Amino acid sequence: MSKVVEISPTTRHEGHSKLVLKVNDEGIIERGDWLSITPVRGVEKLAIGKTMDQVPKIASRVCGICPIAHTLAGIEAMEGSIRCEIPEDAKLLRVILQAANRLHSIALHNILILPDFYIPGTETKINPFTPEEPVRSVAKRIQRIREIGQTIGEIAGGEAVHPSNPRVGGMYKACSERAVYKMYDLAKEGLTLAHQQMEFMLAVLNNMKKRDWTDVAGKQIPLPKTLGYHDLGYMASHPMYASSNLDEIPGWDPDRWTDVRPWDWYMGEVEVSLADPSYPIGGTSPVGTKANPQMEACTGVPLYDGAPVEVGPRARLATYKNFTEKGTWAQHVARQLEYTDCCYTMINALDAYNPSGKVLADCIPQGDGSMGWAANEAPRGCDVHLAKVKDGRVLWYEMLVPTTWNFPTCSRALTGAPWQVAELIVRGYDPCVSCATHMIVVDEDKRIVAQKLIQ
Amino acid sequence: MLFPEIVITGCGNPLFADDGFGPAVVEELQKLQLPDNVKVIDAGLGGPHFIFTLIDPEKTKKLIIIDIADFGAEPGDLTLLRVEDLPAGSYRDAHSWDLTEPLQRLKDRVDITVIGCQPKHVTAPDFELGLTEEVSNAVPKTVRTVLELIGVDYGMAIENLRKEECQRAFGES
Repeated sequence: MSKVVEISPTTRHEGHSKLVLKVNDEGIIERGDWLSITPVRGVEKLAIGKTMDQVPKIASRVCGICPIAHTLAGIEAMEGSIRCEIPEDAKLLRVILQAANRLHSIALHNILILPDFYIPGTETKINPFTPEEPVRSVAKRIQRIREIGQTIGEIAGGEAVHPSNPRVGGMYKACSERAVYKMYDLAKEGLTLAHQQMEFMLAVLNNMKKRDWTDVAGKQIPLPKTLGYHDLGYMASHPMYASSNLDEIPGWDPDRWTDVRPWDWYMGEVEVSLADPSYPIGGTSPVGTKANPQMEACTGVPLYDGAPVEVGPRARLATYKNFTEKGTWAQHVARQLEYTDCCYTMINALDAYNPSGKVLADCIPQGDGSMGWAANEAPRGCDVHLAKVKDGRVLWYEMLVPTTWNFPTCSRALTGAPWQVAELIVRGYDPCVSCATHMIVVDEDKRIVAQKLIQ
Repeated sequence: MLFPEIVITGCGNPLFADDGFGPAVVEELQKLQLPDNVKVIDAGLGGPHFIFTLIDPEKTKKLIIIDIADFGAEPGDLTLLRVEDLPAGSYRDAHSWDLTEPLQRLKDRVDITVIGCQPKHVTAPDFELGLTEEVSNAVPKTVRTVLELIGVDYGMAIENLRKEECQRAFGES
């Protein structure tokens, strides 16, 4: 008879989500639901009536991790609607920004997943913050890669977190010759480090693939060879950057996209009947807890050709590079393979970039209400923004962010795994469950801070 | 060098009314000509992962964080906090990062100050653009506080900020 176990919240990724898992007597998942418990975004409604320049900046605030992808997708959806072609040098700066952001993001994800893996040839799990070698050198390398990605992004994009340089019609500023040399040097240094880091991660992953079990809360949990497998399709718009409706051969098709509500997809009310207080970070939910994924899921379920699809590095490699491996380990492998792609992309774009070139379109039409879209290949997968602009104002706006695509796909990929390794499968998608909150929560009695009021 | 000797970050989300306080202060600071060893960053929601984990204590000596903080005061009131005032583990941001953790790592080698502003109205999860008047009025005072903390005498600019504050107060009456 099936039992229900709930892991809430899931950890070591970006955002608030949870897992509701129906498992058999052996603890193997028969049906898993992975759902966002982050409150619903309302940006689509907020966008209506705003100018086409405002909306991408607003959209970039829906998430603290992916502001670059949202800025670029938002701007290019506007350009798609008003039919504005941008100069080649502006496009090159956007590509550099995109690749720099992805480089940083892969390195960040390495830190989040490394505690799931073992130092090859040992039974020691990796603690990325340990001062011991060889992990210390790896951590330093990851930090340097992140610095390089962010610094190049800052130079090309204007600001490191919320890029200020991209604008509808191109870019606000060109990058000087000196800035190009600096980015070039950094990209070359990044390439060496990216090679090393990729090799390290592939060795760690190959070691993991050979293992029959992993340790979770002091218990040996079997690792199926088919961890994270599903029989759904992939969706990617471009190997590195993006596609839009202005492309001669668009990499994405809005007519193939439909959306269903969570209550058509997730399971209804269930009661937790299996709990493990020793599960990491506070244990699983206690027996008797009610869960209702249909009502609690805070995202719609986007479908492509009537079914969920996987987006992200493996989808890109499967679509454009004949990558055929499946499952969670393959997702991790694909992500590492993108490390060097990021650096080569930047180097090639810098080679082609002309610092004296034009970075703003001569004419920026104000739009007639036509639909435009841009499918940006964000680090975590295809980030689609759709827009209708008339007289410079947004009539309609839609965002289909990568993890929204991946929620239902990952849910199906949970089947057949021991419930204790469900989070391993989730982390393979590098989820970014867009969310927002303010930074500081103080003591309930507020005693300490009240003494330091600035009067 | 990604981050220089002095780093000033405004944290928060302008989509949630007063949560946009940090970025609003950054917007004002960016209008000023500050010394080369100072960098002002709109961190949005990305402070913990984009900035605090990338600060190098060999280079960065002072970090100032500007954000809203619920400390039971009147809206717009400011407080200065040290990392020690942020209860360890009490805050885990929306991205499962413990904010205090990277700051705890830095605090003995980097001088960290948090300027907290009491919000009046945070609309999360509903979106609302724009600060309330009380919190907006706290922006000039925060700019002055930041300038004092980094030892920059901005002369007339500070005077102008004070005037702006007075004008707002006058407008209220």
